[in-house]
Amino acid sequence: MDNIVVVENLSKTYGKDIVAVDGISFQVHKGEIFGFLGPNGAGKSTTIKILTTLLEKTSGKASIDGLDIDADQAKVRRIIGYCSQDVGVDDDLTARENLMLQCSFHHIPKEKARSKVDELLRKVRLTEAADRRLKTFSGGMRKRLDLSSSLVSDPEVLFLDEPTTGLDPQSRQDVWDYVKQLNKQGMTIFLTTQYMEEADRLADRLCIVDQGKIVAEGKPNELKANVGADKITLWFKNDDLEACEKAVKALSNLQGIEEVGKCVVGLTTTEGLTIMTKNGSAVVTQVVRALDSAGIELEQLKLTVPTLDEVFIKLTGKTLNVIERKEAVRTGRRGMRS
Amino acid sequence: MEMISEIVAIFRRWNTKLLRQPIFLFFSLIQPLVWFLLFTQAFSAIGDIPVFKTLTGTNSYITFFTAAVIIQTIASSALQAGIGLVNDLDSGFMDKMRVAPISKSAILFGKLFSDAISTIIQVVIILFIGLALGVNIASGVVGVLMILVIAATFGIAWSGISLFIALTTKSSQTTLSVGLLTTFPLLFLSASVMPLQLLPSWVQQVAKVNPFTYIAQAFQNLIIRGFVWDSIGYAFIAILIIGVISLGASILVFRKKVS
Repeated sequence: MDNIVVVENLSKTYGKDIVAVDGISFQVHKGEIFGFLGPNGAGKSTTIKILTTLLEKTSGKASIDGLDIDADQAKVRRIIGYCSQDVGVDDDLTARENLMLQCSFHHIPKEKARSKVDELLRKVRLTEAADRRLKTFSGGMRKRLDLSSSLVSDPEVLFLDEPTTGLDPQSRQDVWDYVKQLNKQGMTIFLTTQYMEEADRLADRLCIVDQGKIVAEGKPNELKANVGADKITLWFKNDDLEACEKAVKALSNLQGIEEVGKCVVGLTTTEGLTIMTKNGSAVVTQVVRALDSAGIELEQLKLTVPTLDEVFIKLTGKTLNVIERKEAVRTGRRGMRS
Repeated sequence: MEMISEIVAIFRRWNTKLLRQPIFLFFSLIQPLVWFLLFTQAFSAIGDIPVFKTLTGTNSYITFFTAAVIIQTIASSALQAGIGLVNDLDSGFMDKMRVAPISKSAILFGKLFSDAISTIIQVVIILFIGLALGVNIASGVVGVLMILVIAATFGIAWSGISLFIALTTKSSQTTLSVGLLTTFPLLFLSASVMPLQLLPSWVQQVAKVNPFTYIAQAFQNLIIRGFVWDSIGYAFIAILIIGVISLGASILVFRKKVS
C-alpha cells in the first residue's frame, strides 16, 4: 500500500527538558483514516502541528506525499487541510464570508470559489445559515463550518486535531458521518482523539500514544484482540451455588474456552461466573446450549469484548476513561455515571 | 502577484470586521476628544504668551493643539493594532492562515492597511471637529491630504510596535497597557503640547529624539503656516526609521516565534 505520510524518529522538545514527542515513527496509508489516540499531554497536538508545518520539529524526518515538511513547506501547505482543536473561524463574518476568505487564501478564482463554497455549505447543512454571522451559531455548526473551511483546497490529507472535543453527542455524530463520507471519496484523514469510541468507530488503523511515545499500533480489532480475551459472565437464579458447580462441569468439555472461574458463595450475586475465550460471539451460543442441556437456569448472561481503553490500561497502567469523564464535567455536562 | 491578492483578502476581512464593529472606531476617539474640548479651554491662555505667536505663528492654542490631538488619536489606535492578532492567535484563526499557502507578511500588512483606513477616518473626524471649534487649516485641502498621508503612514509604522509586543507576549492586556502607558509621556515629552523652545531644557533634549516632535511639527506647520517642506521631510524620515525597525522586528518575530 502507498504511504502518504511517513514519519521517522520524530521528536519535539520544549525548552531544555520537556519532551513532548519522543522519537516516534509511523506511516499513514493513502486513503485511510489514521487515528492518534491518547490522553491530554500525550503529544498528539504537537505531532499534528509539526506535520502541518505549524511547529518546528527538534529532530527526525517527516514527509507528506513525498514532500519534506521542512524543505518543501510551501508545497506541503498546498496539499493539506487542518482543523485545530480551537475552532478557527472568524465570528464577525458570515459562514459564506469565512469560506470565501479561505478560498482566497488558497488562490481559488472568484467564480470557482463561489460554486465551491455553495457546495461545501450544502454538504455541512449550513446553506440556510450561510449569510448569518457566526455569533449566532451553535458549537456544532461552528465545528462543521470549521471542517468545511479546511476543505476548500480539496486537500489530499486532512488533519483533524480532536475534532469532537466539547461537542454534544448529535454534533459528534454529524462530524463522524462527514469524516467518513470524505474518506469514502478518497481523502486520507489523520485524526487525533482522546475518545476511544471515536478512534474505534473512525480509524482504519491507529497509534496509541502516551507521554510522547507510540505504545501500540494497528487496526482497532487487532489491538483489542491482543489484550486478550472476550469475557462471558453468568449469573444463576437464586444465587444457586449448586447450579454454578454444575455449570462449571458442563462447560469443562467445551472447545474454545480458555479459563473458567470458580464458584464461591455470593459470587453469582456480585461479579458472576466468568468465562474467558478468544472468540466470545461464537462460544456464547455453545455455552447457552451446554447449560440448557444440563438443565441449568440462568438469571443473566453478559458478553464483554475488550475496548481500546483496556488496551490502553494494559499498556500504560492508566485509563483513558478518566479523561473522558473529566472532559464531560469541564464542559458543563453531567458526568457519565450517576 | 499572489502576495497582493493575499494582502487584499486580509485587508478586506479587517475592513468588514471594522464596519461591523464601528463602535471601536469611536472608542479610541473618546479620549482625544475630551482633550480637545477640555484641555484647550483650560489652557487657552497659553496663546496669550507673547513669544507663543512668534514661535508658532498663531495665538490660538486650540489651533496649535490640534496636532497633539491627531497624534494622540493615531497613537492610541495604532497601539491597539496588535490586539486583533492576539485574538486570532487565541481563536485558532491564525493557525488556519498559517497552514494556508500565504505569506506571513501579507497577514501583517493586510491588517496594517486596514488600520490605516480607520486612522484616516478618525483623523478626518478630528479635523472636522477642529473646524467647528474655529481651527483654520492654512494649507487648505491639499494640506489636509498631506496630513492624512502622514497620519496613515505614521499609524502603520507605530502599529508595528503594537504588533511586535502582541506577537512577543501573545497577551492583549500587555499589548493594551503598553499602548496606554507610553502615549502620554511621549506626548508631553515632545513639541506637541508646547513649542519646543518653551519646554524646560531637559525636556527639549528628550523631545529632539522623540518621533512625536517631528510628526507634531509637520502637522502644526500644515495647520498654522502652510507647506513647510523641511518639517514634512523630517516627519517622513522619522516615520521611515520607526517603520523599518518596528515592522522589521514584527515580521522577524512572526516568522520565528509564533507557534
